[in-house]
Amino acid sequence: MSYILVVDDSPTIRTSVEFTIKEFGFPIKQAENGAEALDTINEFKGKGEDLALVVIDVNMPVMDGISFLKEFKKTDRFTPVLILTTESEGAKIKEGKDAGAAGWMIKPFKPENLKDVVMKLIQ
Amino acid sequence: MIKTKDMKTGRDLFILYPGDYYASAIQCFIGSVTGSCVIVCLYDTIRRIGGMGFLIVPGAIGTEGIYRDQIAAQGINQMELLLGELVKLGADRKNLTAKIFGAATFRESRLSREFISTSQLRFIDQYFKSEKIPVYVDDLGGDYRRKIYFSPTDGKVYRKVLSNNDESSEFIKMELEFINRIFRNKDTFGDVILFE
Ligand SMILES: [Mg+2]
Repeated sequence: MSYILVVDDSPTIRTSVEFTIKEFGFPIKQAENGAEALDTINEFKGKGEDLALVVIDVNMPVMDGISFLKEFKKTDRFTPVLILTTESEGAKIKEGKDAGAAGWMIKPFKPENLKDVVMKLIQ
Repeated sequence: MIKTKDMKTGRDLFILYPGDYYASAIQCFIGSVTGSCVIVCLYDTIRRIGGMGFLIVPGAIGTEGIYRDQIAAQGINQMELLLGELVKLGADRKNLTAKIFGAATFRESRLSREFISTSQLRFIDQYFKSEKIPVYVDDLGGDYRRKIYFSPTDGKVYRKVLSNNDESSEFIKMELEFINRIFRNKDTFGDVILFE
């Protein structure tokens, strides 16, 4: 079964997101920043595990969410990437959209909203 | 927030009002006054970047803890806003240490001693443990306001207990407004935009 990757530099947010979406039954993996996310994806691709969805923060050390998105979309145009961030500025959201994000959710997230969006994106 | 000068040192001084947050990688002071809210000062000990923000959790946190709690989500978000500013300047959560001040109770306040000591302290305890951010100073409680000066490039904090409320009447009013705003918006969550 394909997995969902949750990327945020906050362990609290990663755990909250995991609690919210684990009822869908997908295995969930976590990464702390964009670079670690790319490594994780490559590692599991090597093992033949498919990626269903990435839920990723913007402001993270090492590699931010937008840089991840640009890098990731070079090799995978189809797997949806959902941005989950405190950033609400129009220009930032447009940057995400232009880089190929499937959606933009502003923190704090309502668990029901996150579930709805994840459900839509993994179908 | 207003920018002014610290008279003694000539350094820039950024005065935060309740609800503001600010981070800096260059030498300055960040100052504010708190009563029942908690002022959180975070400092990246490797990169020498620091920031200050306000925290108030608008209600009781359920027995399941902060991960599934919508009241706690509001507190987590207040911290996320400050952490985001720090990360944009190059800080890393792994190097952060915290100094926290406030959570005072006042007889005239709508916030009971019980509420402050259970909800606020419980959130602080669980949140910083979850984030693995060591709390070096927690100067919490009492029935007095605290004036805090934070030097973001070395992590030093200068604290003064305010015995006289006249000195901080502007802050008292604004803190009440901030607390009311957070309580009013406790069921408000961020927007969702789908691009496809
Ligand atoms: Mg972040």
